[in-house]
Amino acid sequence: MTAEPAVAVRGLTKRFPVPFTRRLISAVEDVDLTVNRGEVYGLLGPNGSGKSTTLKIILGLVWPTSGSAKIFGRDSGEVHSRDSVGFLPENPYFYKFLTGTETLRFFGKLCGLHGEQLHQRIIDLLDLVGLTNAREQRLATYSKGMLQRIGLAQALINDPQLVVLDEPTAGVDPAGSRDIRDLIVDLRKRGVTVLLSSHLLGQVQEVCDRVGILANGKLVREGKLEELLAIENQTELVLENASEDLVKRVQELARDANARLVAQRRSTTTLERFFLDATDE
Amino acid sequence: MRRTLAIASNTLTDLTRQRVFYFILIFALILIGSSVFMSRFSFQQELQILKDISLGTMSILTSLLAILATARLIPQDIEDRTAYTILAKPVPRYQYVLGKLLGVLGLLVISLFIMSALFFAMLYTREQTLLSEAMRQYATAPREQLEDALRTVRAAGLKIDIAQAIGLLFMKASVLAATTLLVTTFATTNIFTVITMVFVYFIGHLQEIAREYWLQQTGNGWFTHLFLALVALIFPDLQAFNRVDQVVAGHALSLGIFTQTTLLGCFYIAVYTTLAVVMFYGKEL
Repeated sequence: MTAEPAVAVRGLTKRFPVPFTRRLISAVEDVDLTVNRGEVYGLLGPNGSGKSTTLKIILGLVWPTSGSAKIFGRDSGEVHSRDSVGFLPENPYFYKFLTGTETLRFFGKLCGLHGEQLHQRIIDLLDLVGLTNAREQRLATYSKGMLQRIGLAQALINDPQLVVLDEPTAGVDPAGSRDIRDLIVDLRKRGVTVLLSSHLLGQVQEVCDRVGILANGKLVREGKLEELLAIENQTELVLENASEDLVKRVQELARDANARLVAQRRSTTTLERFFLDATDE
Repeated sequence: MRRTLAIASNTLTDLTRQRVFYFILIFALILIGSSVFMSRFSFQQELQILKDISLGTMSILTSLLAILATARLIPQDIEDRTAYTILAKPVPRYQYVLGKLLGVLGLLVISLFIMSALFFAMLYTREQTLLSEAMRQYATAPREQLEDALRTVRAAGLKIDIAQAIGLLFMKASVLAATTLLVTTFATTNIFTVITMVFVYFIGHLQEIAREYWLQQTGNGWFTHLFLALVALIFPDLQAFNRVDQVVAGHALSLGIFTQTTLLGCFYIAVYTTLAVVMFYGKEL
Protein backbone atom coordinates (compact mmCIF):
# COMPACT_ATOMS: atom_id res chain seq x y z
CA MET A 1 0.00 0.00 0.00
CA THR A 2 2.82 2.41 0.88
CA ALA A 3 4.35 1.92 -2.58
CA GLU A 4 1.23 3.31 -4.25
CA PRO A 5 1.77 6.72 -5.84
CA ALA A 6 -0.22 9.67 -4.52
CA VAL A 7 -2.11 9.91 -7.80
CA ALA A 8 -2.20 7.34 -10.59
CA VAL A 9 -4.20 8.12 -13.70
CA ARG A 10 -4.39 5.41 -16.35
CA GLY A 11 -5.94 5.63 -19.80
CA LEU A 12 -8.24 8.38 -18.61
CA THR A 13 -10.83 9.53 -21.13
CA LYS A 14 -13.74 11.83 -20.55
CA ARG A 15 -16.32 12.70 -23.18
CA PHE A 16 -19.25 15.00 -22.56
CA PRO A 17 -22.47 14.69 -24.54
CA VAL A 18 -23.52 17.70 -26.58
CA PRO A 19 -27.11 18.55 -25.60
CA PHE A 20 -29.81 17.68 -28.17
CA THR A 21 -27.35 15.81 -30.41
CA ARG A 22 -25.71 12.42 -30.38
CA ARG A 23 -22.28 13.97 -30.51
CA LEU A 24 -19.70 13.71 -27.76
CA ILE A 25 -17.01 16.25 -26.99
CA SER A 26 -13.74 14.83 -25.76
CA ALA A 27 -12.34 16.79 -22.80
CA VAL A 28 -9.62 14.31 -21.82
CA GLU A 29 -8.25 11.59 -24.09
CA ASP A 30 -6.29 8.59 -22.91
CA VAL A 31 -4.23 10.38 -20.29
CA ASP A 32 -1.67 8.55 -18.16
CA LEU A 33 0.02 10.40 -15.35
CA THR A 34 1.59 9.60 -12.01
CA VAL A 35 2.18 11.93 -9.11
CA ASN A 36 4.69 10.40 -6.73
CA ARG A 37 4.45 10.83 -2.99
CA GLY A 38 6.10 13.97 -1.68
CA GLU A 39 6.58 15.72 -5.01
CA VAL A 40 5.09 18.90 -6.40
CA TYR A 41 3.52 18.13 -9.76
CA GLY A 42 2.38 20.86 -12.11
CA LEU A 43 -0.40 20.20 -14.58
CA LEU A 44 -0.01 22.77 -17.31
CA GLY A 45 -2.03 23.64 -20.32
CA PRO A 46 -3.97 26.40 -22.01
CA ASN A 47 -7.62 27.10 -21.19
CA GLY A 48 -9.84 24.20 -22.25
CA SER A 49 -6.97 21.73 -22.38
CA GLY A 50 -8.62 19.38 -19.85
CA LYS A 51 -6.76 20.35 -16.66
CA SER A 52 -9.84 21.05 -14.55
CA THR A 53 -11.69 17.99 -15.88
CA THR A 54 -8.70 15.80 -14.98
CA LEU A 55 -8.59 17.29 -11.48
CA LYS A 56 -12.35 16.85 -11.07
CA ILE A 57 -12.08 13.18 -12.02
CA ILE A 58 -9.21 12.72 -9.56
CA LEU A 59 -11.41 14.28 -6.86
CA GLY A 60 -14.45 12.17 -7.72
CA LEU A 61 -16.57 15.12 -8.87
CA VAL A 62 -16.84 13.81 -12.43
CA TRP A 63 -16.85 10.20 -13.60
CA PRO A 64 -14.40 9.01 -16.29
CA THR A 65 -15.82 7.69 -19.56
CA SER A 66 -13.03 5.12 -19.49
CA GLY A 67 -9.78 4.57 -17.65
CA SER A 68 -9.15 5.11 -13.98
CA ALA A 69 -7.89 7.60 -11.43
CA LYS A 70 -6.54 6.48 -8.09
CA ILE A 71 -5.49 8.36 -4.97
CA PHE A 72 -3.04 6.45 -2.77
CA GLY A 73 -4.26 3.28 -4.46
CA ARG A 74 -7.98 3.90 -3.94
CA ASP A 75 -10.34 4.55 -6.81
CA SER A 76 -11.23 8.23 -6.91
CA GLY A 77 -14.92 7.28 -7.02
CA GLU A 78 -14.65 6.03 -3.42
CA VAL A 79 -15.44 8.61 -0.77
CA HIS A 80 -12.56 7.41 1.42
CA SER A 81 -10.04 8.11 -1.34
CA ARG A 82 -10.46 11.75 -0.24
CA ASP A 83 -9.78 11.11 3.46
CA SER A 84 -6.36 12.67 3.16
CA VAL A 85 -6.91 15.13 0.33
CA GLY A 86 -7.20 18.90 0.43
CA PHE A 87 -8.60 20.81 -2.53
CA LEU A 88 -8.58 24.47 -3.46
CA PRO A 89 -10.77 25.15 -6.50
CA GLU A 90 -10.08 27.91 -8.99
CA ASN A 91 -11.53 31.24 -7.79
CA PRO A 92 -12.95 29.66 -4.63
CA TYR A 93 -16.27 30.92 -3.40
CA PHE A 94 -17.34 30.09 0.09
CA TYR A 95 -20.44 30.88 2.11
CA LYS A 96 -20.29 34.66 2.45
CA PHE A 97 -22.35 34.66 5.60
CA LEU A 98 -19.72 32.70 7.54
CA THR A 99 -16.69 34.21 9.25
CA GLY A 100 -13.18 32.85 8.65
CA THR A 101 -13.35 30.77 11.83
CA GLU A 102 -16.84 29.44 11.02
CA THR A 103 -15.73 28.50 7.50
CA LEU A 104 -12.82 26.45 8.80
CA ARG A 105 -15.01 24.90 11.50
CA PHE A 106 -17.55 23.85 8.86
CA PHE A 107 -14.96 22.27 6.58
CA GLY A 108 -13.22 20.71 9.60
CA LYS A 109 -16.46 19.02 10.63
CA LEU A 110 -16.87 17.70 7.09
CA CYS A 111 -13.46 16.05 7.52
CA GLY A 112 -14.60 14.43 10.77
CA LEU A 113 -12.71 16.81 13.08
CA HIS A 114 -14.30 18.18 16.23
CA GLY A 115 -13.64 19.47 19.71
CA GLU A 116 -10.29 20.77 20.87
CA GLN A 117 -8.43 19.18 17.95
CA LEU A 118 -10.51 21.19 15.47
CA HIS A 119 -10.29 24.35 17.56
CA GLN A 120 -6.49 24.18 17.69
CA ARG A 121 -6.24 23.34 14.00
CA ILE A 122 -8.32 26.42 13.13
CA ILE A 123 -6.07 28.68 15.22
CA ASP A 124 -2.93 27.20 13.63
CA LEU A 125 -4.23 27.50 10.07
CA LEU A 126 -5.51 31.07 10.49
CA ASP A 127 -2.04 31.92 11.75
CA LEU A 128 -0.38 30.05 8.87
CA VAL A 129 -2.34 31.91 6.19
CA GLY A 130 -2.14 35.24 8.02
CA LEU A 131 -5.84 35.69 8.69
CA THR A 132 -5.83 35.66 12.50
CA ASN A 133 -6.90 39.30 12.66
CA ALA A 134 -9.71 38.73 10.14
CA ARG A 135 -10.96 35.51 11.74
CA GLU A 136 -14.25 36.99 12.97
CA GLN A 137 -14.95 38.94 9.78
CA ARG A 138 -17.59 37.59 7.41
CA LEU A 139 -16.20 36.29 4.14
CA ALA A 140 -18.37 38.84 2.32
CA THR A 141 -15.84 41.45 3.47
CA TYR A 142 -12.74 39.46 2.41
CA SER A 143 -10.62 40.54 -0.54
CA LYS A 144 -9.83 38.09 -3.33
CA GLY A 145 -6.43 37.36 -1.84
CA MET A 146 -7.96 36.73 1.59
CA LEU A 147 -10.52 34.37 0.04
CA GLN A 148 -7.69 32.48 -1.64
CA ARG A 149 -5.90 32.22 1.70
CA ILE A 150 -8.97 30.98 3.58
CA GLY A 151 -9.38 28.57 0.67
CA LEU A 152 -5.89 27.26 1.26
CA ALA A 153 -6.58 26.97 4.98
CA GLN A 154 -9.70 24.86 4.37
CA ALA A 155 -7.73 22.70 1.96
CA LEU A 156 -5.23 22.00 4.77
CA ILE A 157 -7.79 21.59 7.58
CA ASN A 158 -7.49 17.79 7.70
CA ASP A 159 -3.68 17.84 7.51
CA PRO A 160 -3.84 16.15 4.09
CA GLN A 161 -1.16 14.05 2.45
CA LEU A 162 -2.22 15.25 -1.00
CA VAL A 163 -3.14 18.85 -1.77
CA VAL A 164 -4.79 19.64 -5.10
CA LEU A 165 -4.63 23.28 -6.12
CA ASP A 166 -6.48 24.53 -9.19
CA GLU A 167 -4.95 27.82 -10.33
CA PRO A 168 -3.94 28.72 -6.75
CA THR A 169 -2.60 32.18 -7.57
CA ALA A 170 -5.31 33.29 -9.99
CA GLY A 171 -6.18 36.90 -9.20
CA VAL A 172 -3.74 37.13 -6.28
CA ASP A 173 -1.23 40.01 -6.02
CA PRO A 174 2.53 39.27 -6.18
CA ALA A 175 2.97 39.25 -2.40
CA GLY A 176 0.05 36.84 -1.93
CA SER A 177 1.33 34.79 -4.82
CA ARG A 178 4.75 34.53 -3.17
CA ASP A 179 3.11 33.44 0.11
CA ILE A 180 1.27 30.66 -1.72
CA ARG A 181 4.48 29.59 -3.44
CA ASP A 182 6.32 29.55 -0.08
CA LEU A 183 3.48 27.50 1.39
CA ILE A 184 3.78 24.96 -1.43
CA VAL A 185 7.52 24.71 -0.82
CA ASP A 186 6.84 24.27 2.89
CA LEU A 187 4.30 21.51 2.17
CA ARG A 188 6.88 19.68 0.08
CA LYS A 189 9.41 19.94 2.93
CA ARG A 190 6.84 18.30 5.20
CA GLY A 191 6.43 15.44 2.72
CA VAL A 192 2.99 16.52 1.46
CA THR A 193 2.28 15.80 -2.19
CA VAL A 194 1.05 18.79 -4.19
CA LEU A 195 -0.76 18.58 -7.51
CA LEU A 196 -1.34 21.99 -8.98
CA SER A 197 -2.76 23.22 -12.22
CA SER A 198 -1.71 26.55 -13.58
CA HIS A 199 -0.91 28.43 -16.70
CA LEU A 200 1.52 30.77 -14.93
CA LEU A 201 4.60 29.00 -16.18
CA GLY A 202 7.13 31.04 -14.18
CA GLN A 203 5.55 30.00 -10.91
CA VAL A 204 5.29 26.38 -11.89
CA GLN A 205 8.94 26.40 -12.85
CA GLU A 206 9.85 27.71 -9.38
CA VAL A 207 8.03 25.11 -7.30
CA CYS A 208 7.38 21.98 -9.35
CA ASP A 209 9.52 18.87 -9.39
CA ARG A 210 7.74 17.45 -12.40
CA VAL A 211 5.22 18.75 -14.87
CA GLY A 212 2.72 17.35 -17.33
CA ILE A 213 1.51 19.43 -20.26
CA LEU A 214 -2.03 18.92 -21.50
CA ALA A 215 -3.15 20.13 -24.91
CA ASN A 216 -6.54 19.36 -26.44
CA GLY A 217 -7.18 16.81 -23.71
CA LYS A 218 -3.98 14.87 -24.34
CA LEU A 219 -0.86 14.71 -22.22
CA VAL A 220 1.73 15.86 -24.73
CA ARG A 221 4.79 16.06 -22.45
CA GLU A 222 5.63 14.87 -18.97
CA GLY A 223 8.79 14.71 -16.92
CA LYS A 224 11.23 16.32 -14.51
CA LEU A 225 11.44 20.04 -15.02
CA GLU A 226 15.24 20.22 -15.39
CA GLU A 227 15.18 17.41 -17.95
CA LEU A 228 12.37 18.94 -19.98
CA LEU A 229 13.91 22.40 -19.98
CA ALA A 230 17.59 21.48 -20.41
CA ILE A 231 19.16 22.39 -23.75
CA GLU A 232 21.43 19.44 -24.33
CA ASN A 233 24.35 21.20 -26.01
CA GLN A 234 24.44 24.40 -23.95
CA THR A 235 25.99 25.24 -20.55
CA GLU A 236 25.37 28.39 -18.50
CA LEU A 237 28.03 30.11 -16.38
CA VAL A 238 27.09 32.87 -13.98
CA LEU A 239 30.10 34.77 -12.67
CA GLU A 240 30.19 37.22 -9.82
CA ASN A 241 32.82 39.98 -9.55
CA ALA A 242 34.36 38.93 -12.88
CA SER A 243 36.72 41.50 -14.35
CA GLU A 244 36.54 42.42 -18.05
CA ASP A 245 39.85 40.64 -18.49
CA LEU A 246 38.47 37.42 -17.03
CA VAL A 247 35.42 37.60 -19.29
CA LYS A 248 37.71 38.08 -22.33
CA ARG A 249 39.82 35.05 -21.33
CA VAL A 250 36.71 32.90 -20.96
CA GLN A 251 35.57 33.99 -24.42
CA GLU A 252 38.99 33.12 -25.85
CA LEU A 253 39.00 29.74 -24.16
CA ALA A 254 35.59 29.01 -25.64
CA ARG A 255 36.74 30.04 -29.11
CA ASP A 256 39.89 27.91 -28.83
CA ALA A 257 37.75 24.87 -27.93
CA ASN A 258 35.48 25.45 -30.96
CA ALA A 259 32.53 26.40 -28.73
CA ARG A 260 30.17 29.23 -29.71
CA LEU A 261 29.30 31.91 -27.17
CA VAL A 262 25.54 32.12 -27.57
CA ALA A 263 24.78 34.96 -25.14
CA GLN A 264 26.53 37.25 -22.72
CA ARG A 265 24.52 39.65 -20.60
CA ARG A 266 24.36 41.29 -17.21
CA SER A 267 22.34 39.22 -14.75
CA THR A 268 19.01 40.73 -13.79
CA THR A 269 16.62 40.10 -10.95
CA THR A 270 13.07 38.93 -11.62
CA LEU A 271 10.28 41.49 -11.97
CA GLU A 272 8.58 39.81 -9.03
CA ARG A 273 11.64 40.21 -6.79
CA PHE A 274 12.02 43.81 -7.95
CA PHE A 275 8.33 44.50 -7.22
CA LEU A 276 8.49 42.92 -3.79
CA ASP A 277 11.64 44.86 -2.87
CA ALA A 278 10.07 48.08 -4.11
CA THR A 279 6.90 47.51 -2.11
CA ASP A 280 9.01 46.34 0.85
CA GLU A 281 7.16 43.06 1.29
CA MET B 1 -24.03 11.77 10.92
CA ARG B 2 -21.81 14.64 12.13
CA ARG B 3 -21.16 15.65 8.52
CA THR B 4 -24.87 15.64 7.71
CA LEU B 5 -25.58 17.76 10.77
CA ALA B 6 -22.76 20.16 9.86
CA ILE B 7 -24.29 20.63 6.40
CA ALA B 8 -27.81 20.91 7.87
CA SER B 9 -26.75 23.51 10.40
CA ASN B 10 -24.86 25.45 7.72
CA THR B 11 -27.89 25.33 5.41
CA LEU B 12 -30.15 26.54 8.20
CA THR B 13 -27.77 29.42 8.97
CA ASP B 14 -27.66 30.28 5.27
CA LEU B 15 -31.45 30.31 4.98
CA THR B 16 -32.06 32.29 8.15
CA ARG B 17 -29.65 34.95 6.89
CA GLN B 18 -31.55 35.20 3.60
CA ARG B 19 -34.34 37.19 5.26
CA VAL B 20 -36.82 34.38 4.70
CA PHE B 21 -38.47 35.33 7.95
CA TYR B 22 -40.21 38.15 6.10
CA PHE B 23 -42.74 35.39 5.45
CA ILE B 24 -43.52 35.43 9.15
CA LEU B 25 -43.93 39.18 9.08
CA ILE B 26 -46.53 38.73 6.31
CA PHE B 27 -48.28 36.17 8.51
CA ALA B 28 -48.29 38.52 11.50
CA LEU B 29 -49.71 41.32 9.35
CA ILE B 30 -52.48 39.08 8.00
CA LEU B 31 -53.25 37.92 11.52
CA ILE B 32 -53.46 41.46 12.87
CA GLY B 33 -55.31 42.71 9.76
CA SER B 34 -57.93 39.98 9.98
CA SER B 35 -58.73 40.83 13.60
CA VAL B 36 -60.01 44.24 12.47
CA PHE B 37 -63.03 42.59 10.82
CA MET B 38 -63.73 40.10 13.59
CA SER B 39 -66.07 42.19 15.67
CA ARG B 40 -68.78 41.84 13.00
CA PHE B 41 -69.19 38.12 13.64
CA SER B 42 -70.62 35.94 16.38
CA PHE B 43 -68.32 34.42 19.05
CA GLN B 44 -68.07 31.08 17.29
CA GLN B 45 -67.68 32.58 13.81
CA GLU B 46 -64.97 34.93 14.98
CA LEU B 47 -62.76 32.16 16.34
CA GLN B 48 -63.47 29.92 13.34
CA ILE B 49 -62.52 32.68 10.90
CA LEU B 50 -59.38 33.45 12.88
CA LYS B 51 -58.41 29.76 12.72
CA ASP B 52 -59.34 29.53 9.07
CA ILE B 53 -57.32 32.57 8.01
CA SER B 54 -54.34 31.72 10.23
CA LEU B 55 -54.07 28.04 9.31
CA GLY B 56 -54.74 28.80 5.62
CA THR B 57 -52.01 31.43 5.61
CA MET B 58 -49.64 29.13 7.47
CA SER B 59 -50.30 26.40 4.92
CA ILE B 60 -49.57 28.64 1.93
CA LEU B 61 -46.55 30.34 3.50
CA THR B 62 -44.87 27.14 4.66
CA SER B 63 -45.47 25.52 1.25
CA LEU B 64 -44.00 28.56 -0.49
CA LEU B 65 -41.10 28.66 1.95
CA ALA B 66 -40.38 24.96 1.43
CA ILE B 67 -40.31 25.34 -2.37
CA LEU B 68 -38.46 28.64 -2.61
CA ALA B 69 -35.87 27.87 0.07
CA THR B 70 -35.07 24.42 -1.35
CA ALA B 71 -35.04 25.47 -5.02
CA ARG B 72 -31.79 27.42 -4.76
CA LEU B 73 -29.76 25.25 -2.38
CA ILE B 74 -27.99 22.71 -4.58
CA PRO B 75 -27.95 24.74 -7.85
CA GLN B 76 -26.44 27.70 -5.99
CA ASP B 77 -23.74 25.52 -4.44
CA ILE B 78 -22.88 24.11 -7.85
CA GLU B 79 -22.88 27.51 -9.54
CA ASP B 80 -20.64 28.99 -6.84
CA ARG B 81 -18.45 25.87 -6.84
CA THR B 82 -18.99 25.52 -3.08
CA ALA B 83 -20.26 22.02 -3.86
CA TYR B 84 -16.82 21.16 -5.31
CA THR B 85 -15.09 22.12 -2.08
CA ILE B 86 -17.60 20.22 0.04
CA LEU B 87 -17.71 17.07 -2.08
CA ALA B 88 -13.92 17.05 -2.49
CA LYS B 89 -13.89 16.29 1.25
CA PRO B 90 -14.76 12.76 2.35
CA VAL B 91 -18.48 13.57 2.24
CA PRO B 92 -20.77 10.97 0.62
CA ARG B 93 -23.28 12.60 -1.69
CA TYR B 94 -26.24 11.20 0.23
CA GLN B 95 -25.04 13.03 3.35
CA TYR B 96 -24.83 16.25 1.38
CA VAL B 97 -28.40 15.88 0.05
CA LEU B 98 -29.74 14.83 3.47
CA GLY B 99 -27.95 17.73 5.15
CA LYS B 100 -29.55 20.19 2.74
CA LEU B 101 -33.01 18.70 3.35
CA LEU B 102 -32.58 18.70 7.12
CA GLY B 103 -31.55 22.36 6.98
CA VAL B 104 -34.78 23.24 5.17
CA LEU B 105 -36.83 21.14 7.59
CA GLY B 106 -35.17 23.01 10.45
CA LEU B 107 -36.23 26.28 8.85
CA LEU B 108 -39.81 24.99 8.48
CA VAL B 109 -39.89 23.93 12.13
CA ILE B 110 -38.68 27.34 13.30
CA SER B 111 -41.06 29.22 10.98
CA LEU B 112 -44.06 27.12 11.97
CA PHE B 113 -43.11 27.41 15.62
CA ILE B 114 -43.03 31.22 15.48
CA MET B 115 -46.24 31.40 13.41
CA SER B 116 -47.97 28.94 15.74
CA ALA B 117 -46.87 30.90 18.80
CA LEU B 118 -48.29 34.10 17.28
CA PHE B 119 -51.49 32.30 16.27
CA PHE B 120 -51.96 30.56 19.62
CA ALA B 121 -51.37 33.80 21.50
CA MET B 122 -53.93 35.56 19.31
CA LEU B 123 -56.45 32.73 19.56
CA TYR B 124 -56.04 32.41 23.32
CA THR B 125 -56.39 36.15 23.82
CA ARG B 126 -59.52 36.30 21.66
CA GLU B 127 -60.96 33.25 23.39
CA GLN B 128 -60.46 34.83 26.82
CA THR B 129 -61.93 38.13 25.62
CA LEU B 130 -64.94 36.36 24.12
CA LEU B 131 -65.47 34.34 27.30
CA SER B 132 -65.52 37.59 29.30
CA GLU B 133 -67.88 39.16 26.79
CA ALA B 134 -70.17 36.13 26.90
CA MET B 135 -70.26 36.26 30.69
CA ARG B 136 -71.10 39.95 30.53
CA GLN B 137 -73.77 39.50 27.84
CA TYR B 138 -75.40 36.51 29.53
CA ALA B 139 -75.00 37.81 33.08
CA THR B 140 -78.74 38.18 33.49
CA ALA B 141 -79.69 35.19 31.28
CA PRO B 142 -80.50 31.71 32.65
CA ARG B 143 -77.49 29.68 33.71
CA GLU B 144 -77.96 27.12 30.89
CA GLN B 145 -77.74 29.86 28.24
CA LEU B 146 -74.52 31.21 29.75
CA GLU B 147 -72.96 27.75 29.92
CA ASP B 148 -74.08 27.09 26.38
CA ALA B 149 -72.41 30.31 25.18
CA LEU B 150 -69.21 29.54 27.09
CA ARG B 151 -69.17 25.99 25.72
CA THR B 152 -69.57 27.34 22.18
CA VAL B 153 -66.61 29.71 22.62
CA ARG B 154 -64.43 27.02 24.19
CA ALA B 155 -65.30 24.52 21.44
CA ALA B 156 -64.17 26.96 18.81
CA GLY B 157 -61.06 28.00 20.78
CA LEU B 158 -57.61 26.58 21.36
CA LYS B 159 -57.59 22.76 21.15
CA ILE B 160 -55.07 20.00 20.57
CA ASP B 161 -56.54 19.36 17.11
CA ILE B 162 -55.04 22.65 15.95
CA ALA B 163 -51.54 21.49 16.90
CA GLN B 164 -52.18 18.27 14.99
CA ALA B 165 -53.34 20.20 11.93
CA ILE B 166 -50.16 22.32 12.13
CA GLY B 167 -48.14 19.11 12.43
CA LEU B 168 -49.70 17.95 9.17
CA LEU B 169 -48.93 21.31 7.55
CA PHE B 170 -45.31 20.66 8.47
CA MET B 171 -45.48 17.22 6.88
CA LYS B 172 -46.96 18.71 3.70
CA ALA B 173 -44.25 21.40 3.52
CA SER B 174 -41.59 18.72 4.16
CA VAL B 175 -42.96 16.60 1.31
CA LEU B 176 -42.81 19.67 -0.94
CA ALA B 177 -39.21 20.35 0.19
CA ALA B 178 -38.18 16.76 -0.60
CA THR B 179 -39.91 16.95 -4.00
CA THR B 180 -38.24 20.28 -4.75
CA LEU B 181 -34.88 18.78 -3.81
CA LEU B 182 -35.50 15.98 -6.31
CA VAL B 183 -36.39 18.48 -9.05
CA THR B 184 -33.23 20.52 -8.39
CA THR B 185 -31.07 17.48 -9.07
CA PHE B 186 -32.05 17.55 -12.74
CA ALA B 187 -33.32 21.11 -13.25
CA THR B 188 -31.04 23.46 -15.11
CA THR B 189 -32.39 26.71 -13.65
CA ASN B 190 -34.14 27.87 -10.49
CA ILE B 191 -37.10 29.16 -12.49
CA PHE B 192 -37.61 25.68 -13.99
CA THR B 193 -37.64 24.20 -10.49
CA VAL B 194 -40.15 26.75 -9.18
CA ILE B 195 -42.48 26.39 -12.17
CA THR B 196 -42.31 22.58 -11.95
CA MET B 197 -43.10 22.78 -8.26
CA VAL B 198 -46.09 25.05 -8.87
CA PHE B 199 -47.45 22.28 -11.14
CA VAL B 200 -46.60 19.64 -8.54
CA TYR B 201 -48.40 21.71 -5.91
CA PHE B 202 -51.62 22.01 -7.91
CA ILE B 203 -51.58 18.50 -9.34
CA GLY B 204 -50.71 17.17 -5.86
CA HIS B 205 -53.96 18.61 -4.55
CA LEU B 206 -55.86 16.80 -7.31
CA GLN B 207 -53.93 13.55 -6.99
CA GLU B 208 -56.61 11.99 -4.80
CA ILE B 209 -59.26 12.44 -7.54
CA ALA B 210 -56.94 11.06 -10.22
CA ARG B 211 -56.07 8.09 -8.02
CA GLU B 212 -59.72 7.26 -7.36
CA TYR B 213 -60.58 7.41 -11.08
CA TRP B 214 -57.56 5.26 -11.87
CA LEU B 215 -58.45 2.66 -9.25
CA GLN B 216 -62.09 2.56 -10.33
CA GLN B 217 -60.93 1.19 -13.72
CA THR B 218 -63.92 2.71 -15.48
CA GLY B 219 -64.17 2.46 -19.24
CA ASN B 220 -61.73 5.22 -20.05
CA GLY B 221 -59.33 4.93 -22.95
CA TRP B 222 -55.82 3.58 -22.37
CA PHE B 223 -54.34 7.08 -22.66
CA THR B 224 -56.59 8.48 -19.92
CA HIS B 225 -55.88 5.42 -17.81
CA LEU B 226 -52.13 5.85 -18.27
CA PHE B 227 -52.33 9.57 -17.52
CA LEU B 228 -54.29 8.98 -14.32
CA ALA B 229 -51.88 6.22 -13.30
CA LEU B 230 -48.91 8.54 -13.80
CA VAL B 231 -50.52 11.33 -11.77
CA ALA B 232 -51.46 8.88 -9.02
CA LEU B 233 -48.03 7.25 -8.88
CA ILE B 234 -45.67 10.18 -9.46
CA PHE B 235 -47.28 13.03 -7.56
CA PRO B 236 -47.75 13.20 -3.80
CA ASP B 237 -51.29 13.36 -2.44
CA LEU B 238 -51.05 16.82 -0.89
CA GLN B 239 -54.76 17.00 -0.18
CA ALA B 240 -54.30 14.28 2.45
CA PHE B 241 -52.43 16.79 4.62
CA ASN B 242 -55.13 19.45 4.44
CA ARG B 243 -57.02 18.89 7.67
CA VAL B 244 -57.42 22.59 8.33
CA ASP B 245 -61.07 22.77 7.22
CA GLN B 246 -61.95 19.83 9.44
CA VAL B 247 -60.30 21.43 12.46
CA VAL B 248 -61.80 24.87 11.74
CA ALA B 249 -65.25 23.30 11.53
CA GLY B 250 -64.63 21.93 15.02
CA HIS B 251 -64.46 18.26 14.01
CA ALA B 252 -61.98 16.23 15.99
CA LEU B 253 -58.88 14.94 14.21
CA SER B 254 -58.54 11.34 15.32
CA LEU B 255 -55.14 10.07 16.39
CA GLY B 256 -55.47 7.30 13.81
CA ILE B 257 -55.91 9.75 10.91
CA PHE B 258 -53.10 11.94 12.26
CA THR B 259 -50.69 8.99 12.58
CA GLN B 260 -51.69 7.57 9.21
CA THR B 261 -51.17 10.93 7.45
CA THR B 262 -47.86 11.49 9.24
CA LEU B 263 -46.68 8.07 8.08
CA LEU B 264 -47.82 8.88 4.54
CA GLY B 265 -45.76 12.08 4.73
CA CYS B 266 -42.71 10.15 5.97
CA PHE B 267 -43.17 7.68 3.12
CA TYR B 268 -43.28 10.46 0.51
CA ILE B 269 -40.25 12.20 2.03
CA ALA B 270 -38.29 8.93 2.06
CA VAL B 271 -39.19 8.14 -1.57
CA TYR B 272 -38.48 11.62 -2.99
CA THR B 273 -35.28 12.01 -0.96
CA THR B 274 -34.03 8.59 -2.08
CA LEU B 275 -34.74 9.54 -5.70
CA ALA B 276 -32.95 12.88 -5.16
CA VAL B 277 -29.92 11.05 -3.77
CA VAL B 278 -29.89 8.60 -6.71
CA MET B 279 -30.15 11.48 -9.19
CA PHE B 280 -27.44 13.44 -7.41
CA TYR B 281 -25.07 10.45 -7.44
CA GLY B 282 -25.32 10.46 -11.22
CA LYS B 283 -24.76 14.19 -11.47
CA GLU B 284 -21.42 15.41 -12.73
CA LEU B 285 -20.26 18.66 -11.19
